[in-house]
Amino acid sequence: MQKEAAIREPLILGDKSYSQITEDVMAPIVGSPTMWWKVLITISGIIAAWGVGNILYLLGVGIGTWGLNKTVGWAWDITNFVWWVGIGHAGTLISAVLLLFRQKWRMAINRSAEAMTIFAVMMAALFPGIHMGRIWQAYWVFPLPNQFGSLWVNFNSPLLWDVFAISTYFSVSLVFWYIGLIPDFATIRDKVSGGWRKKLYTALSFGWSGRAKHWTRFEEVSLVLAGIATPLVFSVHSIVSMDFATAIIPGWHTTIFPPYFVSGAVFSGFAMVLTLLLIMRKAMGLEAYIHTKHVEYMNIVIIVTGSIVGVAYITELFISWYSGVEYESYAFINRATGPYWWSYAIMMTCNVISPQLFWFKKLRTSLMFTFIMSLIINLGMWYERYVIIVTSLHRDYLPSSWSEFHSTFVDLGIFVGTLGIFMTLFLLFARFFPVLALNELKTILKSSGENFKKADH
Amino acid sequence: MARKVFHAMYDDDDKLKEAAQLIVDKGIRVKEVFSPFPIHGIDPIIGVKRTRLAICAFMYALTGTSLALLGMWYFMISDWPMNIGGKPNQSLINNITSFLPVTFEFSVLCGAHGMSITYLLRNGTVPGMIADNPHPRSTNDRFIMEVTTDENSSMSADDISQLLSSTNPEELSEKEY
Amino acid sequence: MGVTKKYWTGLDELHGTEGYKESVQNEFTAETQAASEFLAEESLDETSTPRRDFLKFMGFSVTAATLAACEAPVIKSIPYINRPAEIVPGIANYYASTYYDGNDYGNILVKTREGRPIFIKPNKDFGEGGLNARINSSVISLYDEERLRGPQMGDAAKTWSQVDSAIAGELASASNIKILSSTIISPTAKKAVSEFAAKHNAELIQYDAVSYSGLKKANNGIIPKYDFSKARTIVSIAADFIGTWLTSNVFQTQYTKRRQPEGSWMSQHYQFETNMSLTGSNADYRALIKPSDEGKIAAAIYETLTGGTADTFEKAIQDNLDKAVAKLRENKDKGASLVVTGSNDSNVQKIVAEINKVLGNEGVTVDSSQGINFFQGDDTKVTNLVKEMNSGKVGALIVMGVNPAYSLANAEEFVSGLAKVKTSISLNKYADETGSKCKYMCPDNHFLESWNDFSPYEGRTDISQPAINKLWSTRPAQESLLKWADNDMSWYNYLRTNYNSSYSEATKHFDDSWNKAVMTGVWAGASMELSNNSGTESTSEGEETVSVNNISAALVAAKGAKTGDWEIKLYEKIGMGAGDHANNPFLQELPDPMTKVTWDNYITMAPSDMRELGIGDHIYLGQRTFAIKANVTVNGKTVNLPIMPQPGQASKTIGIAVGYGRGAGDELIGRAAYQTGEYGDYLNAGTDENAVRTPIGANVFGFVSSVAGDSVYSNIATLELTEEEYKIASTQMHSTVMGRDSIVKETVLAQFEKEKNKPKGMSTYNVMPGLVVHEDTNNDGVLDGRDKSHVRNFDLWEAHSVEQVGHRWGMSIDLGSCNGCSACVTACHIENNVPVVGKDEVHRHRDMHWMRIDRYYSSEIKSINDTETIEEKGLGVIGAYADMENPEDNPQTVHMPMMCQHCNHAPCETVCPVAATTHSNEGLNQMTYNRCIGTRYCANNCPYKVRRFNWFNYQAYKKFKHINVSQQEYGRMVLNPDVTVRSRGVMEKCSLCVQRIQSGKLEAKKASTPVPDGSIQTACAEACPANAITFGDLNDKKSVVTQLSADNRAYGALEEIGVQPNIYYQTIVRNTEA
Repeated sequence: MQKEAAIREPLILGDKSYSQITEDVMAPIVGSPTMWWKVLITISGIIAAWGVGNILYLLGVGIGTWGLNKTVGWAWDITNFVWWVGIGHAGTLISAVLLLFRQKWRMAINRSAEAMTIFAVMMAALFPGIHMGRIWQAYWVFPLPNQFGSLWVNFNSPLLWDVFAISTYFSVSLVFWYIGLIPDFATIRDKVSGGWRKKLYTALSFGWSGRAKHWTRFEEVSLVLAGIATPLVFSVHSIVSMDFATAIIPGWHTTIFPPYFVSGAVFSGFAMVLTLLLIMRKAMGLEAYIHTKHVEYMNIVIIVTGSIVGVAYITELFISWYSGVEYESYAFINRATGPYWWSYAIMMTCNVISPQLFWFKKLRTSLMFTFIMSLIINLGMWYERYVIIVTSLHRDYLPSSWSEFHSTFVDLGIFVGTLGIFMTLFLLFARFFPVLALNELKTILKSSGENFKKADH
Repeated sequence: MARKVFHAMYDDDDKLKEAAQLIVDKGIRVKEVFSPFPIHGIDPIIGVKRTRLAICAFMYALTGTSLALLGMWYFMISDWPMNIGGKPNQSLINNITSFLPVTFEFSVLCGAHGMSITYLLRNGTVPGMIADNPHPRSTNDRFIMEVTTDENSSMSADDISQLLSSTNPEELSEKEY
Repeated sequence: MGVTKKYWTGLDELHGTEGYKESVQNEFTAETQAASEFLAEESLDETSTPRRDFLKFMGFSVTAATLAACEAPVIKSIPYINRPAEIVPGIANYYASTYYDGNDYGNILVKTREGRPIFIKPNKDFGEGGLNARINSSVISLYDEERLRGPQMGDAAKTWSQVDSAIAGELASASNIKILSSTIISPTAKKAVSEFAAKHNAELIQYDAVSYSGLKKANNGIIPKYDFSKARTIVSIAADFIGTWLTSNVFQTQYTKRRQPEGSWMSQHYQFETNMSLTGSNADYRALIKPSDEGKIAAAIYETLTGGTADTFEKAIQDNLDKAVAKLRENKDKGASLVVTGSNDSNVQKIVAEINKVLGNEGVTVDSSQGINFFQGDDTKVTNLVKEMNSGKVGALIVMGVNPAYSLANAEEFVSGLAKVKTSISLNKYADETGSKCKYMCPDNHFLESWNDFSPYEGRTDISQPAINKLWSTRPAQESLLKWADNDMSWYNYLRTNYNSSYSEATKHFDDSWNKAVMTGVWAGASMELSNNSGTESTSEGEETVSVNNISAALVAAKGAKTGDWEIKLYEKIGMGAGDHANNPFLQELPDPMTKVTWDNYITMAPSDMRELGIGDHIYLGQRTFAIKANVTVNGKTVNLPIMPQPGQASKTIGIAVGYGRGAGDELIGRAAYQTGEYGDYLNAGTDENAVRTPIGANVFGFVSSVAGDSVYSNIATLELTEEEYKIASTQMHSTVMGRDSIVKETVLAQFEKEKNKPKGMSTYNVMPGLVVHEDTNNDGVLDGRDKSHVRNFDLWEAHSVEQVGHRWGMSIDLGSCNGCSACVTACHIENNVPVVGKDEVHRHRDMHWMRIDRYYSSEIKSINDTETIEEKGLGVIGAYADMENPEDNPQTVHMPMMCQHCNHAPCETVCPVAATTHSNEGLNQMTYNRCIGTRYCANNCPYKVRRFNWFNYQAYKKFKHINVSQQEYGRMVLNPDVTVRSRGVMEKCSLCVQRIQSGKLEAKKASTPVPDGSIQTACAEACPANAITFGDLNDKKSVVTQLSADNRAYGALEEIGVQPNIYYQTIVRNTEA
C-alpha cells in the first residue's frame, strides 16, 4: 500500500480503528435521532408541504399564477432549474473527478455529496416539468412510438438535449451512488441486531459478502463509472447552458456559456456541499472525519471556480462592447444599469468579490465564516441565473415589447418548497444511510489516519 | 472422505496478506478472501484474474452511440423529415451538429447502466440475494481467508489446519460439509 | 304416430289443484308483492321490506344508477329538414349591408356561418371608405346577453300588444309629444317618423352625442363634404379626421391615397392641436396649441391670407404657421388645399369656412353646397327640450337611439325633467341610462337583425339588410312608431313600398332593382329624397342655422376665447367613440393608438408638466409603478382619474376621452362594461346586497362647455393631485425605438426623390444589412470593406430552399400608409378567436393580440451614433441610452403593425422540443396547438415577441367570466368555426389567417386555376382602410407583394439577425424638409 508524506495533515483525526469507524458511522442509524435532527426535519417537512400545496395550485389553475408575461416567458422556474442542476454537480464531481485524481480527502464527503446531487437533480427535474403549460403531456418530450403515426420529437431543440442530459445524469449518479452504498449496507446489515433494520439492510445490501473478486470488480466499476461520469458532469451543464447559448436573445447568445456555466455549477455545488456538511458534522458528530482540512480544500476549489466565473462575467462585458452589435452592448449595459441593476450587483458581490476573501488562510479555515460564505455564494449563484434569464428577456430586440417581471407568491412558494423537500430528503438520508463511505475510509485509515501517522515515527 | 472448509480470521489486512502469501507458497490454493474493504495487492497472491468490465462498458457505450444515431436518423431524416427553422435534414451528416449532444448522452447512459447491470449480475449481488460471508465481522473489521480440502487434495486436512494456524490467525474454524 | 310428451311443473299441475289454477291466473306471485308496494310510494310507510328484498332493491338501484351514469350526455342539435338553398354548412355567406349608429357609417359585408353573423368586413366593391375598429367589431353586440329581450314597462316584461295598447292610449291623450332621436339619415325612417309626427302632432328633435352643430351653423345649416384626396396641403386645427371626426373612415381612405411617395404628388399635412391625436401623429408638421388658441390660429391664417395683420405666437407654433400659410398660398385658387378644424365653436368654423373660400377650395376639396346628411343634431333645440321637460310642458317623450341621460352636458337636468314627463318611451336596445328611466322600453332590433335604408348624402342610398332572424322579441323602432301611428304595415313592407309603390307581398321576389340593391348594398335607382322637414311645421328653419354670417364678428369672438391656467380638451377614443361600445370587450381591450392603454380613460398630460407637478416618477408606468390619480373640476363637476403621460400634449393642458363611465347606475348595458377584479368578480359587487358595479373610467360629457348654444369640447379646468395610485393597463410600456434603425426606417420626401431609383438596400435610408465578403460585389475594382453581401446570403448550412417551391405566403406593410387606426387589430381579434383577457391580465403584460401596432415616439437623441446631440447633452454611453428612453416633448410618431414574421429561419421552430411549431412548405411558420406542451421557449426566442401563451383556460376560468365571449351562452356564437379555440397552456400566434389561405386554395382548385393574386386576403389586410397591408405569394413573380418586397423602400425588420422574415415593411417617407 502506498505511504503518504508524514507532513500531510491526517484526514482522519483521533485514535480510530476499523471497528471504531463503523461505530461512528452507524451511531445515527442505530441510535435514536438527535434533537437537532427532529427540529430540522419538522421545519423542512412543513416547508415541503407548503411547496407541494403551491405546486398543486399551479397545476390546477395554470402558469398564469406565476408572474411571467408575453416578454418574460421564463423566470423563477428556469432559474431554479439551472440553480438546482448546478448544485447537483458537486456530488458527482467530488466522487468522480477527485477519484480520478486520487484525492483521498474526498472520501469523507463524497457519500453525502452524491446524496445531495441526487436530491438536487430531483428538484431540478421538477421545474422543467411543472413549467410546462400542459404538464399532463410531459411524456411527449420522449421519442415514444405513438398512435399519431410518424410523430417524433425535435432533436434540434436544446430543451430536448436537456431531457436526455438530465435523465442520463440523474440515473448514472444514482447508480454510481448505490453501487458505492452496497458494501456499506452489508456492514450495517451484519452489525445491526434483528428487527426491521436487519430486514431493511439485508434487502438493500443485495447479499454483498465482500469477496476479493467482488472487491476487484467494485474498484474497477467505480473507476470506470468515474471515468464516464466526469465528461458527463461537464456535458450536462454545458447542455443546460445551450438552452441559452443557442438562442438569439442578446445576453443569451454567448459562446462562452458552457465553460462558464460548468465552473459556476461547481462553484455553487461546493458551496451547497459546505452548507450541508457543516450542519451535518455538528448534527451527526462527525467532527473527526469532516474537519478544517476538508473544508479548506473545498474552499480552495471555490476560489478557483469563483474566479473563473468572475473572468466569464468580465469577458461577457468586454465582448458585448467589442462585438459592436448594438443589441448585445445594450443588453449588458442594461444588466448593469437598467431596472434590474440590483440583481446584477448582488450577483457580482456574492460570486466574484466575496470568494476572493478565501485567499486568507485564516478565513478559509474558519468554519463559521465558510458557512456564511457558502450561503452567500448560493444566493449569488441563484441571482446569476436570474440575471441571465430575466434581464436578457425583459428588454430584447423590439422596445415595444420591453416589459418587467414581478414574482408572485406561487413563484416564491414553489422555490422555497423545493428547498424544504430537498432538506427533508437529505435529513432522511443522514438518518438511515451511512453518511460516510465506510469501506473507502477504511482503506485510507492507515495512510491518512492520525494514529497511524504517529505510529510511523 | 469428508470435505472440510477452513476459515482463518485475521484482524488486519496486512497480516492476512502475509499469511496468504505464506500458505500459497506452500502450494495451497486459497479459495476465497472476505474483507470489509478492498485489500490492495491480494488478487495476484490468491490468483484473482483481472476483470473485463471496462471492456463491456466500452461495448455498451458503442451500442448506445449507434442506437442514438440510428434513431435520430430515422426520426428526423427518414421517417418524417420536417422543415424546422430552415435547418437542413436532407441527410444525417447535414444535421449532425444538432445530434451530437444526444448521441453523447445516450452513449454514456448505455455504457454506465450496461456495465453496472453486468457488474451486479456477475457478482450475483442482486435484490433478494442472501449474503454468505462466514462471519458477520468480515464486513466490519475482520479479514477471513477460506481454504477447502477438495481444492487441495494434495494435502490432508490436518496439514492444512496446521499450516493455517502457523500463520497465527485470530481464530481458525473448520467445518465439514 | 307422434306422442307429445307432457311435462308437469309439479304434482299440483298433474292433479290440477285449486291452488295451481289460481296461481296460473295471477302472474304476480308473493315475492313480487313487496316490489310493487315498495315502488308505490303512498304505501311506503306501512310496508315492511324483508332484508332479501331490500338487498334486491339495492342491487337494482345500484345497477340502474350505474347504467344511468354510463349514458353519454345528450347533445341537442336540430338538423335541417329542408336545407335552406343558400346555406351550405361549412361555407360562409356574405351579405351586403350598412352600418349606422348615429356616429359611424360604413358599407359592410356581413359574414355568416350556418346563419350566424360572425364577422364584418368592408364592402370594397360598392362601398365608400373603409371600416374602423368600432364598426368591424360591432358584430359582437348582436350577441350581448344584456340586450333587452322584449318590451318592458319599468322592470316588468310585457308583450308587444300590451305595451302598444297602453302607449296608444297615453299618446292619444298626450300633448306636446317630442321624439328625441339621433340624426336620421334613413329616408324611409324619416317618412315613418313624419307619419307618426303628423298623427300625434309630435316634433322630431335630432341630437348627436358628439355635436357638430357649430360646423353646421357656420355653413348655413349644412355639414360640408370634404375631400382629402385632392388636397396637396392639409391644415387641420384640432380635427382628428382620421380617427373620429365626421366620416373619419372615408377621410382616412382619401387621406392615405396621397401619402405614398411613389404617387404623382404627396400631400403635406399640418396639424395644430392640444391632445396627441391619431391624426396629429401622422402629420408632417405638428404644433402644440391650447384649446383656446384654436380660434386664434384660424384667425391668424385667415388674416395673413387676406393680407391683414395677424397676431403672433411662440416660435414653435409660429414656424409651423408660417410654413403652413406659405404652402396654402402656393395652392391658392387651385382648390388644392384644405383647412379643417375640429372645434365646434361656430365662429372658428366660420373663419375656417371663409379660409377655404379664400383659397378657392370650395367645390373641389370642400363641398358646402350640398354636404352630407350626418350630424344634423341641434344643440339649442335639445337645450330647450330639457327646459321644457323640467317645466313639465312635455306630455310624451320618445327616445330613439340616443342616450341623453349619459351624453348630455346637463344630463342630471334631463333626468329630472324625464321624471316630469308623463309618457316616456325608450326605443333603445338596452335598458341604458336613459331607457331604464323611461316608463316604457320598446327595444329596437340590432342592426344585423333589421332592414333599413340610408342616404349618407344627396344622390346615394345604401340598403341595410338583416343577416340573421332576430334573436329575441324586439321590434324595429320604425315599426313601433308606425304602429303607434295606427299603421299596421310591417316595417319591411313599408320600406319596400317606399321604393316601389307597386310593391306587394306577392311580387317581392320579382323586384330586380331591389334585389340588386340588396345584393350590392347600394340602391341603384333614383336616390331617395331625405325630407329635411322632420314632421311638423315647427322645424324652425333659418332661426339659428345662419347665425354666423359675419366674419369680422367671428374673428373677434374666436380671438376672445377664454383661457385658463389648465385647459382641458375632450376627445373621442378610437375604441369607445361616444360611448355606445362600452360593452364591447374587443374595443375595451383594443389599445388606444397613442397611449396603448386598454380598459380605461384617463387624464393625458405632458411629461414635462408631470415633472413640474412633482410626479415625474409616474411617467414610466409599469406593473409596479402606478399612475397618480387627480381630481379634475370643470363646470363644478369633478371626476377622479389617473394621469397618463402623453408626449405631444400641449403644456398646461389635459385631455380626457368621452365615452367612458357608462352605466354609473349599474344599468344593464352589457357584462363587459364594468370593472372586474383580479379573480373576475365585479369590483364593488358582492360587498353588500345593494352594491353597484363599478363603471370603467369616468363620464366627462359634463365638462362640455356651451358657446353660442353649441357644445364645445374644451373648457377651463382646475386640477388637483391626490395621493391615490392607480393601475393602468397598457400593452406597451416603452415608448421610444432606442435608435434601432433596423426596426423602423424613415426618410424625407426630398431624400426619397433623390434615391428612389436605386435598387433595394442601396439607398441611404434603407441600407442593406450586409457582411463584408472577399469578392468585388460593388464592382469598384478593389476588394475592401465596401464589398458587402446581403445577410441572407450567409448560411451555416445548406438551408431548405424556399424560392420557387410552391407558394410562399408573405406580406408587405407600408409604414407610410399605416396611420395606426387599429381596425386590423380588432379584425384579427375576431377572425381568429383571440381571447379577451381583461384589464388585470393586460396590466401583467399578457395581452393576447396576435396583431399589435407598435407605436414609437422619437427621442431627442436619434441613435447611439448621434454623437453631436449626445455631446451637446454632455452624456456618456450609459447616459445616452437612459436619455433615449424619454420621448421628445413634441415627438414624431411611428405606427408599426407587428405580427408573426413567418421567418424562413424561424428561431422559434428550432427550440421547440416536440416540434409543435414547424415550417410549412408554403413558407408559413405554423403552430400545432394540440402538439404544444407549453414550454414557452419559442416565445422567449422570438426576436419580435409576437407569440402569445394561454396563461389560463380563458374559456372556463372564473377570472374571465364577464369579459370573455366564449364563456357566454350567446357570445360564444361569434366564434369563428374555422379557427381552433386554444386550450390552456399552449402557445398561439398569427397564422397569416391560414384558414383563409386554405379556402382560397380550394376555390382556385375548384376553378382549376393557379391562385389569383389578391384572391386571398388576411383579416388585417382586408380591414385596413388605408390599404397599407398587402398579402400574397412571394413565389408568384407577378404578385403585388413580390414587387413590393423588392421595392426601393422595402426592408425586413431586424433583418440583420438572419431570421429571414417573410413580412416586408416599406420605409416611412415624411413630407418634411430634412
